[in-house]
Amino acid sequence: MKFRAKIVDAACLNHFTRVSAMIAKLAKTCTLRISPEKLNFVLSDRAASAGVSMWCELEQENFFSEFQMEGISAENNAIYLDLTAENLSRALKTAQNARALKIKLTNKHFPCLTVSIELLSVSSSSRVVTHDIPVKVIPRKLWKDLQEPTIPDSDVSIYLPALKTMKSIVEKMKNISNHLIMEANLSGELNLKIETELVCVTTHFKDLGNPPPASEDASQERPPEQMAEVHIDIRKLLQFLAGQQVNPTRAVCNLVSNKIIHFDLLHEDVSLQYFIPALS
Amino acid sequence: MEAISPLPFMRKCWRHPPKLLVASAGREPVCFYLCLVFTVFSVREMKLHHRSGDWECGPQTPNDLGLLFGKAIQALSRISDELWLDPSEKGLALRSVNSCRSAYGCVLFSPVFFQHYQWSTSVKVNDNDSTMSNLNCKLGMKSILPIFRCPNSLERTVEKCKIFTRSDKCKVVIQFFCRHGIRRTHNVCFQESQPLQVIFEKNMCSNTLVIQPRVLAEALVLFTSSQEEVTLAVTPLSVCLKSSSDEPMDLTNSVYSEMFVGPDEFDFFQIGVDTEITFCFKELKGMLIFSEATHAPIAIHFDFPGKPMALSIDDMLLEANFILATLADEPSRASSPQSLCLSQNQKRSDLMHSTHNNSKADKNVTSKAPGCILSKAAPKRLYPSETLTNISALETCGSPTMKRANGDISEVPESSVSDTDRCQGLRICRR
Repeated sequence: MKFRAKIVDAACLNHFTRVSAMIAKLAKTCTLRISPEKLNFVLSDRAASAGVSMWCELEQENFFSEFQMEGISAENNAIYLDLTAENLSRALKTAQNARALKIKLTNKHFPCLTVSIELLSVSSSSRVVTHDIPVKVIPRKLWKDLQEPTIPDSDVSIYLPALKTMKSIVEKMKNISNHLIMEANLSGELNLKIETELVCVTTHFKDLGNPPPASEDASQERPPEQMAEVHIDIRKLLQFLAGQQVNPTRAVCNLVSNKIIHFDLLHEDVSLQYFIPALS
Repeated sequence: MEAISPLPFMRKCWRHPPKLLVASAGREPVCFYLCLVFTVFSVREMKLHHRSGDWECGPQTPNDLGLLFGKAIQALSRISDELWLDPSEKGLALRSVNSCRSAYGCVLFSPVFFQHYQWSTSVKVNDNDSTMSNLNCKLGMKSILPIFRCPNSLERTVEKCKIFTRSDKCKVVIQFFCRHGIRRTHNVCFQESQPLQVIFEKNMCSNTLVIQPRVLAEALVLFTSSQEEVTLAVTPLSVCLKSSSDEPMDLTNSVYSEMFVGPDEFDFFQIGVDTEITFCFKELKGMLIFSEATHAPIAIHFDFPGKPMALSIDDMLLEANFILATLADEPSRASSPQSLCLSQNQKRSDLMHSTHNNSKADKNVTSKAPGCILSKAAPKRLYPSETLTNISALETCGSPTMKRANGDISEVPESSVSDTDRCQGLRICRR
């Protein structure tokens, strides 16, 4: 197994740093999947076999000036690594003014992702910083739980409002109850509801717009006013929103009534899919 | 002077840091004459706006000096929860030692730092020598840190700060004269306690680096705060800061980082001995915060592992010294003679106790104690010119360890002591 990659462009480096910071906020430990064309950050709740809850994908050629990898075998040309997202994020943050950044898979007593940074410095000599991030190689038999999730057939698909606004609202709601109801319809309306014995709080978002339907039939069947609702744990929603530091280029929310909420975000060229299952 | 051998060092983390040699203050109970009268001893002008810089203190830029004072206290708060206020003719020294005696910090503000600096003490001539007494003033960080904690607000609203105390009042009064005629007064009670001072000949270290604080700050960003220990490895060609590699690297989240800095990034680079020293990261951070406020370069003096390292800032208005113990790299040998440690510790605490009692009970008694000689002879600054005086003073106190030092403090103390200690550590004396 081999992996080496290099970033020389400052903008790419910053973008990659931002992506890793976002992942660090969304998950403590996650899986990094390396394939010839892409890098994926995957979070799956393997223990609960609830499937993949986060799938983040980026095209390697948008970031790396050099990229070489060799998977476990020719048929299975991929590498799956478990790592603590915070470690990668912190290491990348130190590369603020780097001339070049190299990542490679190494084995120093145990497998590591070695990030080596050449920093610009005022004097002639450049500073070299190295971080060895411990990783765990995931055996092939566990790969099946870490595949790209299928997008569910949703009842309603809607564009999200400003995520920062949503986050501040959800934060306040968390103080009241852990049980949040999210509902939306095809008229561009989204509601966030909290219901307790003493109080009900609802926040209404209007005129959000709906993305064009996947197929003609689906849109015609459903009345535009009818809400699809999902009951979720508010903390999961909050964790998702906390990870979004910048406003995404595109943010779509797909609801499957009483089943699951699927968030589909695009940050420039990085796509992020996040699943929150309904409370049982 | 007796050198107290430290407890065996336990490596896990700095909960049990390298113990230091602590020299007790003498064979006989020490009684300091404590009839001190302090009048207003520092009044300092803080300008509201940097633009209208009109300093009486000299060509110092209108960098807020009040900020420096506050930052010094903040830096020392990282070392310990207690602070000694130690005025003398050389200026006002703020001292702090951590509870495990592995770190010591001292910031000495010269009299010119203040707009007005006045202190007085009663001097008793006794036997052959006159003894100068100290204001034995120990303040809790919890009391004093909040007063100076918000340097930005200090900068904007405070025009003048006045600090005064009298030893018989047992409290320090800090007054802020603010805009619009507002005056804020803080009374902070102090405990009577002799300040500790470290003897360390930084100019006799074989390795010296002088670096701009910004560079060091950039280096330290690399290390996560979870990492307790940092190793500095030097050769004549390179300097490397890295996370300490002694702990067994395990999978659970310890990132190993290292950074190479070229010799030309240093203002001064002198490496006599290739070495790797390991010290506590947290204490270094405190010092760094302070140095960034002073904009003065930091000098790092060190030798071999086990010997303490000194970080110092020397400015026209102040001098700061932070002495940190470093890990010795020899595998542990025989365990320490616990009984010896305890008895000496007890002795020391008895000493403190008796000093305290005496000071309270009988203010008119003065005894000529070795501690007093030391305080007179000992430099407030750790400079080689006074080495010999130090040594001779120490030698007269009859410590076997010190005797062997023979004019060269940097020599390793005798093996029977170092057998037990993993770290030669700081020599601390009571003044």
